[in-house]
Amino acid sequence: MHIAEGFLPWYWCVFWYALAIPVIAYGVIQIKKVTEKQPDSKPLLAVAGAFIFILSSLKMPSVTGSCSHPCGNGLGAVLFGPAAVSVLAAIVLVFQALLLAHGGITTLGANDFSMGIVGPVVAWLIWKGARKAGWSPSLGIFLAAVMGDWLTYVTTAIQLSLAFPIPTFGSAFVKFIVIYAYTQVPLAIAEGLLTVVIFEYIMKLRPDILVRLKVLKPEEGKKIAAEAD
Amino acid sequence: MSMFETTLDGYAHSNGLRDVNTYYKVFFAICTMLVSLVSQSPVVPLLIFGIVTALIIFKAKISSKFYLKFMAVPFIFALINFIFMAIFFGVGKPLLELGIFNLAVTVDGFNLGFLLLARIMGGFSCLAFLALTIPMTELFSVFEDMKIPQIVIELAMLMYRYIFLFLDEVLTMYHSQETKLGYSSYRKSYKSLGMLASNLFIKTWMKGEQVYVAMQSRCYDGSIKTMSETGTIRNIGARNLILLAVFEVVLSVGTYLTGSLSIF
Repeated sequence: MHIAEGFLPWYWCVFWYALAIPVIAYGVIQIKKVTEKQPDSKPLLAVAGAFIFILSSLKMPSVTGSCSHPCGNGLGAVLFGPAAVSVLAAIVLVFQALLLAHGGITTLGANDFSMGIVGPVVAWLIWKGARKAGWSPSLGIFLAAVMGDWLTYVTTAIQLSLAFPIPTFGSAFVKFIVIYAYTQVPLAIAEGLLTVVIFEYIMKLRPDILVRLKVLKPEEGKKIAAEAD
Repeated sequence: MSMFETTLDGYAHSNGLRDVNTYYKVFFAICTMLVSLVSQSPVVPLLIFGIVTALIIFKAKISSKFYLKFMAVPFIFALINFIFMAIFFGVGKPLLELGIFNLAVTVDGFNLGFLLLARIMGGFSCLAFLALTIPMTELFSVFEDMKIPQIVIELAMLMYRYIFLFLDEVLTMYHSQETKLGYSSYRKSYKSLGMLASNLFIKTWMKGEQVYVAMQSRCYDGSIKTMSETGTIRNIGARNLILLAVFEVVLSVGTYLTGSLSIF
C-alpha cells in the first residue's frame, strides 16, 4: 500500500526521509562491503531487485475476490537480509513511481520506511526466531511474510494518522486500521500462502542457492538434495 | 502489465522535449512538484496539473490516450480517498446528510479531501513529466551528479535492464500456463503463480551468474561507466534559468495568495 505523491504534508515527507535515510545508508555500506568481498554478488543483488519489482507487479487472486499484488518484502528480507532489502526497496519504489505511477518521489521516505524497513525487519526477525525455535522453513516463511505485510500496513496507518490526526491521532488510526483490516488482512494471508509455494519450489529445485544465501544450513540443503535424487 | 511493453521507454526516448537539457527538465519537474506539495489550497496544484499536462501533450507530443492511462491509477486512488476523507475526516458542520449510519459529508472533510486530490494530481503530472520526457539512462547520470553512491546507481541500472528482460519471460511463462488452464481455479492459480515466481527467481539467479561472467570477460572492474547525452547544469542557459525561476516564483506567490481559498 503506497502513499501517493502529494498525499503527505511536506513536513511529514521530510520527517520520514530523515528516518529512512540513515537505515538506507547503513544498507549501502553493507552492500558495498559484500560486493567488494565478492564482486559476483553485484549482478545477483540487481536481479534480486528486479525480481522484487516483478513480484510486486504480478496480480494475485485473493479470498475477498479482489485482485492485488504481493509486496515481496518478506521473501526478500529472508533471502537477502533486511539491510540489503532497504536499499533494493528504495530503488524499486523509484521505478514503481516512474513506471507505474505507484507511490511517489516526495513520499519515498515514508514508503521506504514502512515497506523497505519495518516490514522486512519484522519478517527477518520472525524468520530467525522460527528457525531458532526449530519450526519448519515453510511455517517460518509463512509467518514472516504475513507478519511482515501486517506490520507494513500498521506502519502506513500510523504514518497516515500522524499526518491527518482528525480529530485525534487515535481515532484517525482506528479509521485507517479498520479499512486495512478489511482489505489487507486477507491479502497478507494470501501473500503468505503464495510465498510458501514459491519458497518450497526454490527449496526443491535449487537448495544450493538457499544454502549460499545462508537461508538454509548446509546440512539441510544436502538433505533436501538427497531426497530429490 | 501491458503498460510496459514498449511505450513508456519509447516515449522517453523520442518525444518533443527529448533534446531539451536534462537538468532543466529535472529542475522544472522537481521544483513544480514541491510547490504543489506545500500548497494549502487546491488552486495552485490544479493549475500545475493543467500546465504540466499541456506541456506533456502539446510540447512533448505524448499521445493523450497514453498519458491518461498513466494518470488513471493515481486519479482513481485520489478519488476514492476524496470520498473517504469527505465522509470520515470531518468534525465541522455537515454539508450533506447521507441518511445511513448517521454519516455526513462535512465541510472540512470535503475541503481536505479536495486539497489532497488536487495535490496528488499536481504531483503526479510532474512525475509523469519526469517519466515520459527523460530516458532512464539520462536520469541515472543526474543521480550520479546528486552524489548518490555509485553502487546504488549501478544496481539501479542493472535492475532497470533486468526488469524488462524478466517481464518478457514472465509473460511467456504466464501465457503458457494460462493456455494449459493453470489459472482456472483459485487452487490452481496459487500453484501456478507460485511456480511462476519460483521459476522466475531461479532463472534470474542463473542470469545473474551468467551476466557476471560475461561482464568479467569484457573487462568489468567493479564499476559501470555511462555517458550522458543532453547537457550539463552549466549549459542550461541564463534565459532558461530565469524563465524557470520566474515560473516557480509566480506559482509560489500564487500558493501564498490563495492559501486560505477553498470551495466551501
